[in-house]
Amino acid sequence: MARLPYIEMEDADPVTKQVYEDAIARFEMLLNIFKITGNAPEIAEPMWEIYFQILQEGPTLTWIDKELLILKSTKMGDCLYCVTQHEAVSARLGVSEGKQRDIVGVEYRKSPHYTPAEVAILDLCAHVVVDPEKIPAEVWARVKEHYDDAQIVEIVATIGAYLQVSKFGDSLGVQLEEVWHGHEPILFAEEPPTSKASQHHLDHFLAQAPASQE
Amino acid sequence: MPVVATIETPTTELAETYAKAEAHFGHVPNFVKALGTNPAFCKALTDFLVQALGEGRNSWAFKELIILKTLRATGAYYSYGAHEKLAMELGVPADKLGDLNHSLWRTSPHYTDAERAVFELVEQTAVDANDVGDDIWNPLYEHYDAGQLLEIASVINTFINIGRMGDTLGVSDPVLFSKPVT
Repeated sequence: MARLPYIEMEDADPVTKQVYEDAIARFEMLLNIFKITGNAPEIAEPMWEIYFQILQEGPTLTWIDKELLILKSTKMGDCLYCVTQHEAVSARLGVSEGKQRDIVGVEYRKSPHYTPAEVAILDLCAHVVVDPEKIPAEVWARVKEHYDDAQIVEIVATIGAYLQVSKFGDSLGVQLEEVWHGHEPILFAEEPPTSKASQHHLDHFLAQAPASQE
Repeated sequence: MPVVATIETPTTELAETYAKAEAHFGHVPNFVKALGTNPAFCKALTDFLVQALGEGRNSWAFKELIILKTLRATGAYYSYGAHEKLAMELGVPADKLGDLNHSLWRTSPHYTDAERAVFELVEQTAVDANDVGDDIWNPLYEHYDAGQLLEIASVINTFINIGRMGDTLGVSDPVLFSKPVT
């Protein structure tokens, strides 16, 4: 249950309406995570600009690289909402189901689906999520072998932004939209949530009838 | 030294962002300079920081307490001292700041029930954001409206991000505001 009201398009102020229109143009629907930020338009506008920057090609990273970081960081946080949405985005960008599956744990390190460059940024991502204080020098060395400073900024900003929005959405109880009912997240099938509360949310979500049958 | 180059002299692409940062903070923070190799992200994150660090639906002084508790709860080091300094400049007494530590805030006479309700949200979000239940939300509804609560959730999660980014990039900002804040 969402902890604050979703502000619908017809009830939104002009600033929020513009954010919503930009979101619809980008994502083809108005997601609940956007609607909840309609409660404070002055925050919604600059906040979503960061995500609009991330969810596209460039300026320095491929969108696929960013989606891999999003899947890794939000799976580590047991965020059902983010993982479900970004499995779909990744698939549309051409990331195979096998590649998605291998992102859990450290499977990606020995997976034929991942390049050494991708392994390096996923290793960095895992350390950033758990504890940046303990990022080994050899991880930085591998990241720097493949990425320049502008790309590293984009890598770290993507990980940080998805730690932010996943915890934001989860703490506010933002629910997956009905269109997702009947979908089983690949990553949680591969590795169940470690959070009991997240497992409860997943069980409840999987019990929903597919959207087309409602 | 940060893991990426810090851009001291703004390029044409960075000029507007650096000017905005300087106008708000009194100087360009090292965090902003560390993002300078990527002007698009430097702009987006600076715009968001400028919005977050000021008076809002909740008082700036209270937002600073939320930021400090968030940094503590997530084990982040970036800018902790700067936010302590800022909180004091905004009128928070040193004793009250000290009582943010571990569980002191739960029994401290310096904190109200409204403030304690927010710190419960901070700590639970840090531990498991999937498990923020009625026991956390019901006291919050007693003290705050929806806009204030959205801002509180935003401040918490923004500084989970900023703390992680600052620590990962190896940035230090002992002073965030070099101009008067009151």
